[in-house]
Amino acid sequence: MRDGAWRGVALLALWLFTLFPVAWMVMTALNPGATSGGAMPTGVTLENFRFVLEEGGFGRYLMNSALVAVGTVLASGLLALFAAVAVSRFQFRFRTSVLVMVLIVQMVPLEALVIPLFIQARNLQLLNSLLGLVVVYVAFSLPFAIWTLRGFVAAIPVDIEEAAYVDGASWTRMFFSILLPLVAPGLVATSVFSFITAWNEFVFALTFLADDSKYTVAIGLRNFFGQYGTNWGAVMAGSTLITIPVMVFFVLVQRKLTAGLVAGASKG
Amino acid sequence: MRAPRRTPSRAALRRSRAARPWLLLTPALLVLAGLLLYPLVRVVVISLQDFSGLRAVARGTAEFIGLANYREVLDDRQLWLTVLPNTVVVALVAVVLTVVVGTLAALLLETLGTMARAATTIAILSAWAVPAVTGTYIWIWIFDPVDGLVSKAAQFLGLVPPGGENWFLDRVTFFTIVVLNVVHHGFPFVALTVLAGLLTIPTEMVEAAKLDGADAWRRFWSITVPMLRPVFAVVTILSTIWDFKVFTQVYLMPGGSGQNREVLNLGTWSYVESFGQTEYGTGSAIAVVLTVTLLLITGVYLRTLFREGEL
Repeated sequence: MRDGAWRGVALLALWLFTLFPVAWMVMTALNPGATSGGAMPTGVTLENFRFVLEEGGFGRYLMNSALVAVGTVLASGLLALFAAVAVSRFQFRFRTSVLVMVLIVQMVPLEALVIPLFIQARNLQLLNSLLGLVVVYVAFSLPFAIWTLRGFVAAIPVDIEEAAYVDGASWTRMFFSILLPLVAPGLVATSVFSFITAWNEFVFALTFLADDSKYTVAIGLRNFFGQYGTNWGAVMAGSTLITIPVMVFFVLVQRKLTAGLVAGASKG
Repeated sequence: MRAPRRTPSRAALRRSRAARPWLLLTPALLVLAGLLLYPLVRVVVISLQDFSGLRAVARGTAEFIGLANYREVLDDRQLWLTVLPNTVVVALVAVVLTVVVGTLAALLLETLGTMARAATTIAILSAWAVPAVTGTYIWIWIFDPVDGLVSKAAQFLGLVPPGGENWFLDRVTFFTIVVLNVVHHGFPFVALTVLAGLLTIPTEMVEAAKLDGADAWRRFWSITVPMLRPVFAVVTILSTIWDFKVFTQVYLMPGGSGQNREVLNLGTWSYVESFGQTEYGTGSAIAVVLTVTLLLITGVYLRTLFREGEL
């Protein structure tokens, strides 16, 4: 009985710690008094959302972020799938070396690369362009995507592929008619992760983008500090617009993603 | 006539089969080489050059000056008194708290029924999903010196003078808020990974220990910890890597982008030197120091993985 009471308290504390910051963000975003510094909710309004979207130009930032994220997802999904098939379906020299290299580059602190990539992007005239960001984000999301997709590909029984060959299919035919449909759920899960990487990224967006019209959401939020003093109602409304899609995606795919990693661990 | 014709075709077939994995790998490897490995080499080169000002950026290279940048960084009192403690101590505290809170959450989750566990998992996932940028703004807002919730509550209780207190100015309170932010963002990964590990422990083992009269504390240290040693190793090392290079959560805090030099860590110092002072050479040297530290930690991570035979 006493044990149960403790568990109740612990559970409550856990819920409070995990959910309170997000709840506070949404409450402030909906609070009409938050623009003038009031912390306590005084009512419910969509005024803060209207303000950030219409006067704060946040619609533009959302559009930019969506473009960058979709570009990243398409490019990195394709490259990662090819690479994942290579490392989980073929035995070749240096296979383990390639895998280890992919794991190591994943650990490289991206902040350390911001200086050389800034110089490279400047020389290639890719600064202040969304394309430049896509190129960089593809590289960042690729190692994780390869590592995860490898698990999903490995989980598909080889027998199915062999059956396709017996029926006279070429490798390309087998890839598109058998492997691709079967690995699709894994591809979706991995894509969501690449999407989130691109959507959330801050340092490179901060360094690369100079022009207000090119801003992504992560740095667009800074406007509500400089331009208007700190309008917390607006900052939290913008934060809500950034956070909620990511949260929904994340909760939906996380289970699948872990399943892929586990499958990779046992079968790769 | 027939045999020579067949042999090359078979060899060609074998060659094309051997080439296929490389054909599939090439695009990805090119991207990784061009955008991760080459810049990694480049940052080392720049750290050996007198690379400062926008002229050097335009030319893309500068005069080599040996290890002067490193000497400058290592001779800087700021490194030893401010930056390193801000990086190492904060990372250590954050890692310990992340792993402890995550493990406690996992142990709690294990005792819950299906419905409660599913609901709590979603709550934990949503904490994980909050982007670093917005998460940091939320914590700044909660601790805002004038209008923030904590400040209002502390004023109401008479703990701080009316008008509030600016927690962002003091180094210790600044990083307390950073650690809170980092733990909130990082513990979900630990909780869910450890939970997955807990669920693999055979129930008979726990039952047997119970019959032998071992209490929960004893069972945790004698069964759970030894069984989950590899899991704990992985989550600790990954958390260490993440917490060592924490950037956004510091840079976005008031004063964190260079105005308050008391709160610089390796990541923000490197960035501020480069893009604030246009001292790209010094900034690169700091970045290299950070990278080498992280690669050493990664080495430990890889060895743990190899020992578990996960590759």
